[in-house]
Amino acid sequence: MLAYITRRLVYGLVTLLALSMVVFGLLQASGGGPLNRLRLNPRMQDLIQELTELWGLDKPVYQQYLTWLKNYVTPEEFGLQNAIPIVMVLAAVGGTFLIARYMKSHWKGGVILLMWVVAIIVSVANMNIEFNWGVSFQGGGSVWDLVFSRAGATFRLGFTALFLALLIGIPLGIYQAVRQYSFFDQLGTVGAFLMFSTPIFVVGIGLQIVLALYLEKWTGVKVFYVAGMNEPGYGDLSFWGQMKDTLQHLMLPAISIALISLAGYARFQRASMLEVLHSDYLRTAKAKGLPRRTIIVKHALRNALIPIVTLVSIDIAFIIGGAIITESIFGWPGLGSLYITAIDTVDYPLVMAIVMIIGIGIVIMNIVADIMYGVMDPRVRYE
Amino acid sequence: MTEPLLSVDNLRTYFSTEEGIVRAVDGISFDLAPGERRGVVGESGSGKSVTAMSIMGLIEPPAGEIVTGEILFRGQNLLSLGEDEMQDIRGGQIAMIFQDPMTALNPVYTVGDQLVETIVLHQDVSKTEAREIAIQALDDVQIPNAKEKLFDYPHQFSGGMRQRVMIAMGLSCNPELLIADEPTTALDVTTQAQIMDLMLQLADDRGTAVLLITHDLGVVAGFCDTVQVMYAGGIVEAGTADDIFYNPQHPYTWGLLGSMARLDAVQQDRLHSIAGTPPSVIDLPPGCRFRPRCAFATDICGRILPQLREAGNEGQTVACHHADEMDLKTLAVDSSDRIVKQDEVVS
Repeated sequence: MLAYITRRLVYGLVTLLALSMVVFGLLQASGGGPLNRLRLNPRMQDLIQELTELWGLDKPVYQQYLTWLKNYVTPEEFGLQNAIPIVMVLAAVGGTFLIARYMKSHWKGGVILLMWVVAIIVSVANMNIEFNWGVSFQGGGSVWDLVFSRAGATFRLGFTALFLALLIGIPLGIYQAVRQYSFFDQLGTVGAFLMFSTPIFVVGIGLQIVLALYLEKWTGVKVFYVAGMNEPGYGDLSFWGQMKDTLQHLMLPAISIALISLAGYARFQRASMLEVLHSDYLRTAKAKGLPRRTIIVKHALRNALIPIVTLVSIDIAFIIGGAIITESIFGWPGLGSLYITAIDTVDYPLVMAIVMIIGIGIVIMNIVADIMYGVMDPRVRYE
Repeated sequence: MTEPLLSVDNLRTYFSTEEGIVRAVDGISFDLAPGERRGVVGESGSGKSVTAMSIMGLIEPPAGEIVTGEILFRGQNLLSLGEDEMQDIRGGQIAMIFQDPMTALNPVYTVGDQLVETIVLHQDVSKTEAREIAIQALDDVQIPNAKEKLFDYPHQFSGGMRQRVMIAMGLSCNPELLIADEPTTALDVTTQAQIMDLMLQLADDRGTAVLLITHDLGVVAGFCDTVQVMYAGGIVEAGTADDIFYNPQHPYTWGLLGSMARLDAVQQDRLHSIAGTPPSVIDLPPGCRFRPRCAFATDICGRILPQLREAGNEGQTVACHHADEMDLKTLAVDSSDRIVKQDEVVS
């Protein structure tokens, strides 16, 4: 398994390298350039000259790319205090392999694997590394600082939406499969296709109008805010006040995203559950005299959840990149809205930073999905 | 005569499909004595498996439904039992072994988990005791290193070994009836005999009655006390294995026997076949279902469905209007290897 993961990581690095080249090339080829807007103003000529030299925009493209690449991967600050988290990560990875090798039960192995993943995340979060990802062409701030000031908002929105989608979508799909062709199943199917085919901006704006504007108008109580992440004066509120304010802002965009992705989860879970329900081993389980509940929960669900794991992993990868449209509709200060502004203004360093974060997320979550597959399904072996 | 263990009376199981109602099992009746081994033979689609599924209560409405009939197991009508009571009987008193061992075990649980689960369900034992019973059960079906194999997943076993596990699972609770639905069809020819021997030996030791569903007449001849031949949802002939093999009364039985490959047949270089194909059980012809393929068919066969009646040896029953009059010995094989009457042979 160690060899497998190493190989996957190497492939992942190659993929990321290719991704960065393509995106960098496309940005250069798109024409215009970050300083184009300044050119309209004749008094800016000196500034343009100065910035072009400062940012190296006059150099050949490959040279610009190499400079960017070198900066992107070289840590700027790397103190000795990082030794402890690194040792922890290595110990965690090593320990996981030892456990995976000597564990008989796959469930116990999976739980411990999960604990190690949490340990790794905590260690990495405590590491004090900073990369020089350049300065944003708009505003001139550090790209690294800019990205990380937005990442929290994106994570908060994305994971809340994912949690809601899984919480409702998975049981819904299971129930639909178990009661196939019942009224509820048909209703769920129609609802899912309706959600699927509605663009997110319609859902988002619809929720804003109904749940934020009209609800307040009818009841006279402010339940949800139309946009933003926190009200001004948030810092002065009590703990519960802060909690309430957070939820009042968070729920509408989270529900918008969740509604659409839960439709997908429900459909997928229904299909996967139906396949299992018609399998021979379920007939065996029934012939053994097991109660229906045990058959569904123990024998069917465990098998039907396996394909969902991949879906969730890939979804997490996309959450990292932020929800571009939803963030724009709800004025959510996340990576998605930052990304769209960066593209609008041809802000190379910022666009590259976000693209690479999404790319790294997808590569890592793909590997995680494959490992989880092996944890869930004893037939899967890594060569 | 002893009280039968299982008594099926006028069972009809229909499936509704888009093309119409499939009369998979259409009015069959038979008895099974304790400890008896009964073979159920017939072509694909003759209703053998549906009979088994009906007894186990595994027919899933709304697709399939038992429309009429009684299935008495130790005097108790299984069809009138609630789901809870049926769960006690399934796996506990009536166990079933399925055709394809490759897919019959849950791939994500160990063999031990699945065995222990069944044992704990039907016997009043702790998990530890159940594990001991499971090891013994695997030992009984001659799986080497049973103790370690308990922790293996089904995919780590071969087909034959998996079928052994299924047998161990079926017999672990000492059922009174074991239904084996083509237990060896999916297996290698070399392991078929071993598995059959093993299964019947173990059933014998426990005094378990066996309902063996198969299309392999050789298996029936070797292992069964009584046989029933099914055709298009009905029983066409029933009797002891000797009756069926040495004194068949129904032209279909005769045809089945004739289409068997035999080592002792000297001059026969090609296998016979029965002319035509089984009728679709959706639009059954009126009268005898075998009539379109039968060399002896007369007017009455087209009008009235023959019921089982005594013919041939004592206790042997057959569903044929002409059972006593026709001489099956006059049947012969024509140039295209089909079974016809002797005087109709065109050479």
